Amino acid sequence: MEITREIFWNVGHWVRWPVYGFGLIVIIIFIFGLVKRIRLWRIGKPENRLDNIPRRIGALLSFGLFHRRILKEPYPGITHLCLFWGFLILLLGTILIFIQEDLTKLIFGKVFIQGNFYLFFSLVLDLFGLLAIIGVILLAFRRYVLKPDRLDNKPEDLIGLILIFLVLLTGFFNEGLRIAITRPDFEKYSFVGWEISKLFASPERSMASLGGLHATFWWIHLLLAFGFIGYVAYSRLLHLITSPLNQFFISFAPSGEVKPIPDIENQETFGVSKLQDFTWKQLLDADACTRCGRCQDNCPAHLSEKPLSPKKVIQDLKNYLTSQGKNLGKGEDAEEQTPPISGNVISEDELWACTTCGACQQACPVFVEVIDKVVDLRRYLVLMESKFSPEVKLFFKNMETNYNPWTIGFATRADWAKDLDLNILSEKSDVDYLLFVGCAGSFDERNKKVTRSLVGLLQKAGVSFGILGAEEMCCGETVRRIGNEYLAQILMQQNIELFTKYGIKKIITFCPHCFNTFKNEYHQFDGNYQVFHHTEFLWNLFKEGKLRWKTGVEMTAVYHDSCYLGRHNNIYDAPRRLLASIQNTRLVEMEQTREKSFCCGAGGGRMWMEETLGTRINHMRIDQAASCDASVVATACPYCLTMLEDGIKEKEMENLLTVFDLAELLEKAS
Amino acid sequence: MSNNVWIIAEQKEGKLKKVSFELLGIGKKLAEKTGGSLSALLLGQQIDKLTEKLDGYGASKIFVCDSEILANYSNEGYTKAIVDLVKAHNPAILLGGATASGRDLFPRVAARLETGLASDCVGLEINNEGLLVAERPLFAGKVLVDTLIPEARPQMACLRPNVLPVPERGSEKAEIEKVAVELQPQDLKATIKEMVKTAGEKIDLTEASVIVSGGRGMASKENFKILEELAAAFGEGAAVGASRSAVDSDFAPHDTQVGQTGKVVNPNLYIACGISGSIQHLAGMRTSKYIVAINKDPEAPIFQVADYGIVDDLFKIVPLFTEEVKKLKAQD
Repeated sequence: MEITREIFWNVGHWVRWPVYGFGLIVIIIFIFGLVKRIRLWRIGKPENRLDNIPRRIGALLSFGLFHRRILKEPYPGITHLCLFWGFLILLLGTILIFIQEDLTKLIFGKVFIQGNFYLFFSLVLDLFGLLAIIGVILLAFRRYVLKPDRLDNKPEDLIGLILIFLVLLTGFFNEGLRIAITRPDFEKYSFVGWEISKLFASPERSMASLGGLHATFWWIHLLLAFGFIGYVAYSRLLHLITSPLNQFFISFAPSGEVKPIPDIENQETFGVSKLQDFTWKQLLDADACTRCGRCQDNCPAHLSEKPLSPKKVIQDLKNYLTSQGKNLGKGEDAEEQTPPISGNVISEDELWACTTCGACQQACPVFVEVIDKVVDLRRYLVLMESKFSPEVKLFFKNMETNYNPWTIGFATRADWAKDLDLNILSEKSDVDYLLFVGCAGSFDERNKKVTRSLVGLLQKAGVSFGILGAEEMCCGETVRRIGNEYLAQILMQQNIELFTKYGIKKIITFCPHCFNTFKNEYHQFDGNYQVFHHTEFLWNLFKEGKLRWKTGVEMTAVYHDSCYLGRHNNIYDAPRRLLASIQNTRLVEMEQTREKSFCCGAGGGRMWMEETLGTRINHMRIDQAASCDASVVATACPYCLTMLEDGIKEKEMENLLTVFDLAELLEKAS
Repeated sequence: MSNNVWIIAEQKEGKLKKVSFELLGIGKKLAEKTGGSLSALLLGQQIDKLTEKLDGYGASKIFVCDSEILANYSNEGYTKAIVDLVKAHNPAILLGGATASGRDLFPRVAARLETGLASDCVGLEINNEGLLVAERPLFAGKVLVDTLIPEARPQMACLRPNVLPVPERGSEKAEIEKVAVELQPQDLKATIKEMVKTAGEKIDLTEASVIVSGGRGMASKENFKILEELAAAFGEGAAVGASRSAVDSDFAPHDTQVGQTGKVVNPNLYIACGISGSIQHLAGMRTSKYIVAINKDPEAPIFQVADYGIVDDLFKIVPLFTEEVKKLKAQD
């Protein structure tokens, strides 16, 4: 007996033609739906996401095929991996059969799925089919029994799961019935079908009745499979296409980089008010989202009961895209009359709640970008409608007149250094490094202590550095994230002019916000520098033996990752290594640490706005810090330092926790 | 064109604002230089009694616009009344207070009269050519500019409250001239239906000359009573403020919050009790003329900006302070 099986067995070879006809129709329906979505993405502005193709293919393989991000959460990760690979292998199997039946057999009379290959083929397909069934059952169990908060259930979810489950189940029953009738021994390699065949293998059942049953299952299986293909482009199953696309069109820019409004002097509108103002990739993001909700599980605003959920923002945009799609091509008048997205599709409270911490983007398995949309929508509110809170108004005014957030005269910016013998670049500019002090380090009494500690360490290590003194201005980072691109560009360009004037090439700063913007954004205006955060720089000095700690500090310390140092710039180790290098210091970790670190609540301009909704984010972070038996919280960011210290005071936990910047601890130790 | 000086005497609900007397004081000096007379302009409803209070500060004439329509401040109504009167008498100088309503009213009046306006002035004098020189702070007080209005008349200026002293009162009486107001209710596009006030007869923090402010060191809402007592001892013009953390802890209502995200205040005396002085707070009060800080922590940043600092328990100091203020006030 030949080891293979007959395709179209029992249902008759004539079905080939209706099946292909049917298949063609289904594929046309699928393509029609897909093209409709593609046309919606294309209303967006151009953006180049076709650079560096090899790296893009790499991203697709690692994040798509191998689920690198999805697997970060084991239950949904592994179950989805099972379903994904099960489906992929079954699809490949079907394609192989198609190739055999319609190419090799038809043209050359060659059947290649036979013999040992047939056994291997049967085993693999059954194995992956079984994995897919297990995956789909566990996913449904999670969605409908465990019911995690982050999942919202829509009919399309249930339809999708049921379709997949039934396609797989009827497939196995087909196989089982076929084996029950034909009973070749080698079919035990089709181990799932083999087991199912035993259900039907009884002498009372006649071949005729089983044959009819098999034919029925065969047709049901076929119709369900075709239904599934047709349904893809009209439901959440579209993510089969859009999610891998989004992984392919991944952004290679640093996550901390906010894109500029180009040629701002000649623009007539600013930010995003309608869908057409987004780029095509930003619109594809909306369609790539699978509503998995990992973003909101990591969003500090959402977790502190603010009205913001990144998932909701993206889904609201998606629904708006779908509904607006109907108005496309109805002329400019209809477009002109559409209300702005900010405040209508996405509420102002949602937009202002974002701390731009990037936790949502870090968690998203399909690389949906959120911060860019929030900033674009804020830009519209700020630059077109002047809609922002009174606190922000004062903040902008201070930035415009004094280049710092407070009502303090710019001329006093370097007063903190009066009694320190420091190089001011206007007097002596032949130094190796610029120490960019930043607003908090210059004016805030608490953060001035950090500046002094850092200066002490740099002097001890014999670093040749200078400061800009009263000429220094805010780096523009926060102004930019609040949406005032115009003011931000003024500040950035004025700083760049200063840097150029003094021939600055290397910058040290202890504020991750300054650091991020110098490193990732100043190049947009031709300011290219080597930028060091003080934790990196001090760690290098320690490694080179230029800094040594004499006394050490007796303490148990926990390090709080700044979003703009950690998540946005991948600096996780230098601060920890520095802490660990201090004698007698024990380093512990919070549960939410490194990539999963929880924001202090001050990023994205939140520092300058009242937090009136929900729980205070800094209070939540304090609770997390307090639960890990440390007495010292080490920070590396003036915003974090302020927020955590305020939180500790407000929660009256001064006796339990004290916050220090790393530079202060190192100075104590030396 | 005359060389007379006019001031708008601002009243609210039958009470004259302090800045009105400050204006009379400077107005008198300016009128002496220009060689003209000083007149006051009083607008409102049933305000006859108030004219007596304006007597003795150097005004030779008080124009009274008494009308039902002027009962509550309205930009449109007040503008029309003032503009009509100014056009009829042509004063050389017209002054008002840079108060909430003054800042609203004066730009419109100036536009109607097609003249210049120096807003938010901290000093006024007459130069050798007889022109009004208005001194205005710019860039958060880092520079002062002298503003002149060379041709257009009247020369208009708004004076920041609490900058100039209230002069000694004399005994001379002013002539009262009642002015008929040609205004109909329908002339006002907006009318005030109701004024919703926060509890109590508190004065607006931004206009207070003395602010007693409490921080988290106050420990409870009840403890704010001792600050209220101290403020009460200072009398009229004193108010109680709070830091953000005190407001967050519900020790004090939100409208008393001083700082970056609250009110920016500029009193003659700011007493910070149990306030550590985070930069966010300092941003709202650092321009106060005198700052007194009471705090247990000698390291508290508030002492960096304070003119006088007391390192001690505020619950001990504040009541003593209150007693001393009462004694001094009793001697007056």
